Amino acid sequence: MSENVHLQAIAAAVIDGEAEDAVEATQKAINANVDPLEILNIGLMEGANEVGKRFERSEYFLPELMLAGRALKGAMEIVKPILLAKYSGADSKVKGKVVSATVHTDIHDIGKNIVSSMLTAAGFEVTDMGVDVPIKSIIDKAEEIEASVICLSALLTTSMPFMKDLIKLLEARGIRQKYVVLVGGASVNADWAKAIGADGTAKNAADAVKLAREKMGYTS
Amino acid sequence: MLNYLDILDRANSGPYIAEQNWDLEKVAMTTRRLVKKYKLTWDKNDLVTDDASLSEAIFSAGYEMAVELGSYSRSTERIIELSQDEIDSGIRNMPQAVVMGEGKDARTLYARHLDDERAPLFFGGSPGTPIPEKIFLANVISYMQEPLIDLATCGTLVEVDGREVRTGNPIEIVSTRRELQYMRQGLKRVGRAGMGMLAAQSSVSELGDLAAAHPDYLRKCDSHLVPMLNELKMDHRNISRAVNSLEYGMVNASLPCVIVGGLGGGPAGSAVINVASYLIANLTCLADYHILHPIHVRHIATSTRDVLWVINATAQAFARHAPSIIVADIYPKSGTGTKELLYETAANAIVNAVSGGHLEGVGAADGNKPNCSGLEARLMAEVALATHKMKMSRKDANALVLQILPKYEHVFELENGNLGKSFEEVYDLQRIEPLDFWQKMYEEVRTELKDMGLKL
Repeated sequence: MSENVHLQAIAAAVIDGEAEDAVEATQKAINANVDPLEILNIGLMEGANEVGKRFERSEYFLPELMLAGRALKGAMEIVKPILLAKYSGADSKVKGKVVSATVHTDIHDIGKNIVSSMLTAAGFEVTDMGVDVPIKSIIDKAEEIEASVICLSALLTTSMPFMKDLIKLLEARGIRQKYVVLVGGASVNADWAKAIGADGTAKNAADAVKLAREKMGYTS
Repeated sequence: MLNYLDILDRANSGPYIAEQNWDLEKVAMTTRRLVKKYKLTWDKNDLVTDDASLSEAIFSAGYEMAVELGSYSRSTERIIELSQDEIDSGIRNMPQAVVMGEGKDARTLYARHLDDERAPLFFGGSPGTPIPEKIFLANVISYMQEPLIDLATCGTLVEVDGREVRTGNPIEIVSTRRELQYMRQGLKRVGRAGMGMLAAQSSVSELGDLAAAHPDYLRKCDSHLVPMLNELKMDHRNISRAVNSLEYGMVNASLPCVIVGGLGGGPAGSAVINVASYLIANLTCLADYHILHPIHVRHIATSTRDVLWVINATAQAFARHAPSIIVADIYPKSGTGTKELLYETAANAIVNAVSGGHLEGVGAADGNKPNCSGLEARLMAEVALATHKMKMSRKDANALVLQILPKYEHVFELENGNLGKSFEEVYDLQRIEPLDFWQKMYEEVRTELKDMGLKL
């Protein structure tokens, strides 16, 4: 089996959201000595990119995103140690750690779930804290897992001020510069993001992934 | 009959399941299976269907989902199981008529049938839209003064006395009570003090809702929202809203905002979840009536083709198989001062009216900005009444909606939406009248609709 066939099988499993197939195809590729960086960048990421495109075209919906995220996570678990062993420092090149949450008092989660799934599918390690999360808990979690990105969601206009509070608390603790803080939600716009000192916002999940990659210094 | 304490007991003792597994393995997978089993499909050119077998299949699939899944308590991470007998009793006990308001201004909301001889009722307001305090009163009056509007609703106060409102903060109590004070004041000003309301919209958590349950604010003849969470979920906060109404006696409006393109996948699956949501809300929200407000996963608006189809499919399924009081929200993409808002409102009003719904609106500009006014609510009511008086068939309604759609669908491709202008820029705030340009725009669209065959 050629290298290309292995990579196509991995991508297809991600696109189909088949976690077991993704793990099996990844294992086969590893056994066949396919470069782990190619497994990541060509097999897994191209599959994930295709899932994102299909979502944008309304051919895929939230369940497909979630299933692809599961497939990706399963495959990453076996490819990650090999990647780290082969490429010193590769860990920082292939992903960033993200804490995502819907802020305190807001219980809407679909938008946040979509962004979390897309970020996972794009190779970020996402800790999704759920909804109605106190800002202190979000910061504590980010510190605990040494995250680089904090993604905050709020649909309710009257919950949006808690985003501002989180940034103020980061500043008060002297750790603002450690994090890229991205904000999103139906009522959030670029003016609001700028006004509260966030690092950016995006109109949709695909743009959120682009923004996170850009802020993390990825060029492709 | 299921006692409400049983719901609380089950939320505390039902089978445990992690929320992500509920979403994916229960809701998403069950929807996929039922859509396949019942062979449910949608047609982007058949938005107002007249297919009794499709309607029956959607209802059956939703019923099967409600019995199989029940609801999920996010507070306890447990399934609130509901038996088939309980779902059936919920249908049997669904109110067929609810009197809202009092005295000469009282109206009876009723369970509409398809081709009902009785006209739909109209809630006027921009529900959930953030409205600055300085224009709140004038804004709600702009709807209340419209003669065709039967019931009042409103936006959300986002600041009071110059202070930012935060959900769950004590200021939420102040903002919700202030909202109700303005609403009652507005109703008196237009001489319709007894008009029923769907209000306490500034109560985003349960806090404001509890604080407004008093005759000075939300009367027993008014209604409040008891939301469900996406999808098929409740939490203790929202259960508290329902429990609070038990002894006080407010009218409960269930609000499941099914995401079209979310866990249910496309329109067919979303309609199935919407049907299941209402059957569950009969019991968990103690619903006296249901708000029909599917949300587009990317565009939010209720005026996209797929959301219009879901509105039509859900309302028809109930009108044919389990008549219930359904009030369909209109949430267009565009804001005031744009013709597109009026086209979107007209298309939505036609679909809602011929599918068995009452109407509520208009949540202009996706309810994101205070870019809303009473004038578009006037058009909503006029268009819906015209379809009713003409005894418009669903086939003709579909043809008319297909004519209107090309006039506004481009707004979904605009990078920054089509926000239009704020209320202050389209109305004279002293006289509370539309400014000339906005009135003229409305008249031009009205003429266009007449030319399309609508007898306005």
